[in-house]
Amino acid sequence: MTPRLDTLRDCLEGVIPGHIVTCDPAGVPNVAFLSQAEYVDNEHLALSYQFFNTTRRNVLAGSPVRLLLTSHLTARQYRLSLQYLRTETAGPLFERMKAKLAGIAAHSGMTGIFRLLGADIYRVLDIVPVPGGCISPPPPAVNCLNALRRSTERLSGCANLECLLEKAVDCLEKEFGFSHLMLLMHDEARGCLFTLASRGYAQSGIGSEIPVGSGLIGICARERSPIRIGFMTSEYAYGRTVRDGLAAEGQLDALETAIPLPGLPNAASQMAIPIVAGDRLLGVIYVESLADLHFDYDEEDALVVFAAQLGLAMQHHQMTDDAPDETPVAERPAMPPEGAPLTVRYFAANDSIFVDDDYLIKGVAGAILWALLNDFTQRGRTTFTNKGLRVDSRIRLPGASDNLEARLVLLQRRLAERNAGIAIGKTGRGRFTLTVERPLTLVES
Amino acid sequence: MLDHDIVAFIQSGVSITLAACAPGRLPSMSRGFACKPVDGEAIGIILPRTQAAEALDNIRLTGRVAVAFTQPTTNRTTQLKGTDARITTFDPADEPLIRKHIEEFVPEVVALGTPEELVHALLSYQPEDLVMVVFTPSSGFDQTPGPKAGQPLPATL
Repeated sequence: MTPRLDTLRDCLEGVIPGHIVTCDPAGVPNVAFLSQAEYVDNEHLALSYQFFNTTRRNVLAGSPVRLLLTSHLTARQYRLSLQYLRTETAGPLFERMKAKLAGIAAHSGMTGIFRLLGADIYRVLDIVPVPGGCISPPPPAVNCLNALRRSTERLSGCANLECLLEKAVDCLEKEFGFSHLMLLMHDEARGCLFTLASRGYAQSGIGSEIPVGSGLIGICARERSPIRIGFMTSEYAYGRTVRDGLAAEGQLDALETAIPLPGLPNAASQMAIPIVAGDRLLGVIYVESLADLHFDYDEEDALVVFAAQLGLAMQHHQMTDDAPDETPVAERPAMPPEGAPLTVRYFAANDSIFVDDDYLIKGVAGAILWALLNDFTQRGRTTFTNKGLRVDSRIRLPGASDNLEARLVLLQRRLAERNAGIAIGKTGRGRFTLTVERPLTLVES
Repeated sequence: MLDHDIVAFIQSGVSITLAACAPGRLPSMSRGFACKPVDGEAIGIILPRTQAAEALDNIRLTGRVAVAFTQPTTNRTTQLKGTDARITTFDPADEPLIRKHIEEFVPEVVALGTPEELVHALLSYQPEDLVMVVFTPSSGFDQTPGPKAGQPLPATL
């Protein structure tokens, strides 16, 4: 029986280079080493095109193509017959391969030499196992399918977005076993992603921002495509690329830079998965590890399914949170706060907020908090609705795709992290309360 | 004539891959397990008959062969081609060449993270399954990735 391509994807990780053989019109054979091959589907494989060499000349002159692939886990070898179809020089597949090739190049000392010119798409005509010695593969670190099943069960029990996002991060850590991870939300209006939750870092980085298109996470968001790298490469080093990207695009002022980005400075393995619902990008899941080749195709598959389910659930909760419960929560008269007064300073230019001179947040979340605190100090108001915020002219939400609920979760977390005596908490669908524990002095600059 | 440097290189701990083409241009390939100079100007590639069956058939039909040698830790790659390839029986006296090749190849790939056990499985063989393909290199190329990739070797005929 011919093996299916999806059962031999471990041969495509770039650890043991594949061999590509071709033949010129005069019948002269040629062997070349294959830096990278990428699984497209069971009938298609993409090979990296880096140089115009004899292989490429032969392929363009109509040579049949054979590959010899070797598993770095079992030593099994497979001989594939391919037919060249086309070359892609942009788009999701190209970007996936470009990122992975950067890792492979760094691992094999070929940084600056291996550069992806195109993704050559081939039809897989035949796969034949080559007889020879092999060993048992090491047991997988995690049973992805079971992790996915358990995560699905846990996500389905959530009643609102806050719970959903908390559970999602928890599943990534406990069910999938990822030690370093981030959940980022898409700010469509500003073309960036903001960190909503993270695990495994000294600083959570909640509220930190990355432009769409910058670094591994930003490219994943722009292309709406999973991207996975198995070896450390400075080209996609998280902090550096983001900083360079920001500086190059002149976005340093517009984006959140006061909150440092979380991330391992020496991550070897990185994987970013877009969270998409319908035609909208909602966010990105990012996981990383100090170990080489820590994530494989199976984990990528599982996270893609997980992200798809999370995306649909997020969309559902964002819609229902906009329709508040009919029965409003009875507003209890707030006890006048006691203790040392807290000075909250607001800068209208970028909606930034400082609490006792310490930076808290800026942008839409800053504008929301400023409106809440003003209502509290002027009218003693402590309960609010999402619907009310949407029509509040002080906040200027960017339309229907405003991700309001996610911004409220962000604000809630930043306040909780700072432990400054101001908190917001959900009280029902589309409703939340403001709690202020110290007397406030509001200063607008 | 191949220069001494190339002759030493192709007999060191390099990965060896042999390719041949059917008359209709369909190529085939196999890993080689060792390499040795033969009669001054030719070289012999020792490989397993079961893995190389199709390539051996093609050699019988065309005599054309291409063999790539790569050092994993440096990516230094040399490709030699010939038109007079023939299949000879494996001389058991050459078995130490295979053992030496594996011994030198193991540290090359272990350095890149491949377990030693896997290399031994990949290059495991039955002596009765081995054959040797002998050819005279008529052209040679430096295929080390980089600006000089594809240039003919100055040392080849």
